[in-house]
Amino acid sequence: MESKWGKIWGLIGLLLLNFVNNVSSLSLTITKVECVYEIVRSEGDIVSGNFVVVDHHIFWSSDHPGLDFSITSPGGDILHNLKGTSGDKFSFKAPRSGLYQFCFHNPLSTPETIAFYIHIGHIPNEHNLAKNEHLDPINVKIAELREALEAVTTEQKYLKSRDAVHRSTNESTKTRVIGYTVGEYMLLTIASVLQVIYIRRLFSKSVGYNRI
Amino acid sequence: MIKDSNVPMAMTFPPLLVVLLLALSTGPLCDAIWLNIPKTGTKCVSEEIHSNVVVLADYVVVSVEDGQTATIAVKVTSPYGNNLHHRENVTYGRFAFTTEEAGNYLACFWSDNRTRGSGEVVVNIDWKTGIAAKDWESVARKEKLQGVELELRKLEGAVEAIHENLLYLKSREAEMRSTSETTNARVAWFSIMSLGICIVVSGLQVWYLKRFFQKKKLI
Repeated sequence: MESKWGKIWGLIGLLLLNFVNNVSSLSLTITKVECVYEIVRSEGDIVSGNFVVVDHHIFWSSDHPGLDFSITSPGGDILHNLKGTSGDKFSFKAPRSGLYQFCFHNPLSTPETIAFYIHIGHIPNEHNLAKNEHLDPINVKIAELREALEAVTTEQKYLKSRDAVHRSTNESTKTRVIGYTVGEYMLLTIASVLQVIYIRRLFSKSVGYNRI
Repeated sequence: MIKDSNVPMAMTFPPLLVVLLLALSTGPLCDAIWLNIPKTGTKCVSEEIHSNVVVLADYVVVSVEDGQTATIAVKVTSPYGNNLHHRENVTYGRFAFTTEEAGNYLACFWSDNRTRGSGEVVVNIDWKTGIAAKDWESVARKEKLQGVELELRKLEGAVEAIHENLLYLKSREAEMRSTSETTNARVAWFSIMSLGICIVVSGLQVWYLKRFFQKKKLI
């Protein structure tokens, strides 16, 4: 009975997977420094985004210190600076328009893969309303609604990337448990068999000498 | 601390390319990113996509050196290795496909060796999947929507996408919870079994050696 429900949920899950769209972030492999640039069209736009280090094959927990992340504005000032992270969210109001630089720096030589998503939200405000007569106040409200939905979507992309990382940790734990336990059993058996053989040999030789 | 010697702000952006960029952007939600393509080697961007999802991407080379735009080569592959889009020596292009299999889709760019110049090539990539790639113009034409109605329809599409993504995240969480629980049960079982094996093996050892010594008339 339980397996039947499990199969039904699995089937529903598979069907839903077909309709899922737009839960995805771009992945990039970082060997040393990788920079992603985005143009912000007008001052005051909200830049939001997140990134997660996906390829974190840690053997022992002190293996990789994480990546360094920084955001540079077109004027050259560093808006955001993080060292040794394995993923983070960020959101800021762009002080000016232009080209913004999002840089990831890998302190070690092993390449790491990250999944990132950057969204730039623009809401026309009353200043634009005064300039452009075709802009209806309802458009401002719709833009605000759209930005709120985009915020939810951004958060979902972050959650999905984190879920992928946790899943890989889980699967690695599962394989490790099975692998290491089976190896342990075999080693135990081999060690005890070797012990017995060794003791046999010891006593066979000495008995032989004694008899002589 | 982070040195990036290839600052594209030093490069000139001809007005034609800016106009082309703005023309390619569909609406105010243009989340196009710029990437540096190194002189040697490829730069690959990948994404984990499910099956039956529409993918739409545009790429434009932005950097200009010595009055001519640098050219790049593009290759897009599916998770099974099929080649979906392959162009050489181009400055702009677009590719669109519907994913057939779920997995990691890879888009690789490399600069053609024919271009002179010492710098790196900067490419503007506009990558849209799923609801962002939906063609709202045809929907507007078919159902005769315009203005506020069209915007509200777009919002409705976005809300549906959010709902489906939430259901997906929920199913993934359930899957992960069941994996964790089986791992937890396995750890407990295997440890008890290991203790059992230890006792059994040592018992066998003692029994075997006792038999051995009795046979050799030492005991």
